Amino acid sequence: MSIDWITVAAQIANFLVLVWLLKRFLYRPILDGIDAREAEIADRMSEAARVRQKAEAAEAAYQDRLSALRSGESAMIDSVRQKAEEERDALLAEAREKLERERKNWNEQREEEASQYTADLHRAGAGALLSLTRKALGDLADETLEERIVAHVSKRLTAISEDLRKAAGDSTAAVATTRDPLPQDARARLKADLRKLLPKVTLRFETDAAQAPGLILRLGGAQVAWTVDTYIDGLNALLEEGIATGRITKSANR
Amino acid sequence: MDLTPDNTIVFEAWGIAVNATIFNTWIIMALLSGMSMVITHNLRPDVPPNRWRTMLEVIVQGIESQITEIARRPGHQLLYFVGTLFLFIVTSNLLMVVPGFRPPTASLSTTAGLALSVLVAVPLFGITSRGLGGYLKTYLEPSVIMLPFNIISEFSRGLSLAIRLYGNIMSGAVIAAILLGVAPFFFPVVMDMLGLLTGLIQAYIFAILATVYISSATAEPKTLENAKEGQ
Repeated sequence: MSIDWITVAAQIANFLVLVWLLKRFLYRPILDGIDAREAEIADRMSEAARVRQKAEAAEAAYQDRLSALRSGESAMIDSVRQKAEEERDALLAEAREKLERERKNWNEQREEEASQYTADLHRAGAGALLSLTRKALGDLADETLEERIVAHVSKRLTAISEDLRKAAGDSTAAVATTRDPLPQDARARLKADLRKLLPKVTLRFETDAAQAPGLILRLGGAQVAWTVDTYIDGLNALLEEGIATGRITKSANR
Repeated sequence: MDLTPDNTIVFEAWGIAVNATIFNTWIIMALLSGMSMVITHNLRPDVPPNRWRTMLEVIVQGIESQITEIARRPGHQLLYFVGTLFLFIVTSNLLMVVPGFRPPTASLSTTAGLALSVLVAVPLFGITSRGLGGYLKTYLEPSVIMLPFNIISEFSRGLSLAIRLYGNIMSGAVIAAILLGVAPFFFPVVMDMLGLLTGLIQAYIFAILATVYISSATAEPKTLENAKEGQ
């Protein structure tokens, strides 16, 4: 067991060289590599955290957008439903209004037709009545209808002569209105009858196509009339009664 | 039979005899440096680590973690010194199983040289850490009376380091050689296996003791922090 001091010195030198060599070729590269890798891992982790944060933010934004779309969808459905209900109500109201209008028109048309029919019936009844009366008077009494009208009016004038005189007052003009012009003898008879009752009054004759067949005498504020309207009204009453009791049907009328 | 490889002259150049201790040390140095160079020459962060690089990283990080655990301070200077001590000794001890290779650590000159290195490194690290006054003051602790004992302790620690490593490795090599002569089969293999274990443990002990000595000479991290706060 001996120590060679030269070898000791050489080994110390060798050891120091080895320390430098290993520091240069082992420790430094390995430690630097570890540090670099750790730094890279830290960078990647921070990058991953950043990406994760970004992804979470994107997910949150997507969720917000999705929920907004969902809420918008329900609002849109409500809006469409409300619009559809409004449109349905409007269409229904329009249909009701149209129906009501048509019903009203139909009613008006029906009333018009009814009034037209009544007027036609009136005219036809009046015409028939006049013809029948005229024919009956001619056949049975050898008289004309106008003569009988004038006679009837004269008779009524005599009955109400006092009242007529009062109603005439200071008036000196009387007007006799007929639908058709009266014959001259009928005019003369009526003038003569009126002159007997009211000598100061002068009578003139007029025609009115819209007037019912008959005669209307106006004197001052008084009026004496005989027309077939009352008979026609009586005829209508008879017809309506016949229709109501079933003795006359609409088909029979046709 | 030579107990030490110092007496075996491998070659002589310019009148200087190169013995087996030095020559084998160069072989170990070339082996360690060459392997490190080959493995770390293409070491870049973008290149994925291969198994050799991983092996070196495990070794370096293992040494560093052991040092940090004992010294409780991060620092690469201690790693360079103690790590090289450990790698040199362990490589030398493990190469003991190679026939014809005489480990340099079986030479008292080598262990003495390593112990002297530690002996010098302790005050160097201490002075670097505490400053010259602070380090010298440690010899007077806990009282002035302890100064001679501290000095003796310092040298005896180096001596014990050198003798322990030399004795263990030399005895293992000698016993293996003797057994090879007496019983050439089986027993030398067992002894070599035991020698590998012993060599590994001795390298670990040497490195750990060197770390303990150096870290005891350097300031504690808390002491340093307090000193900095005091300034």
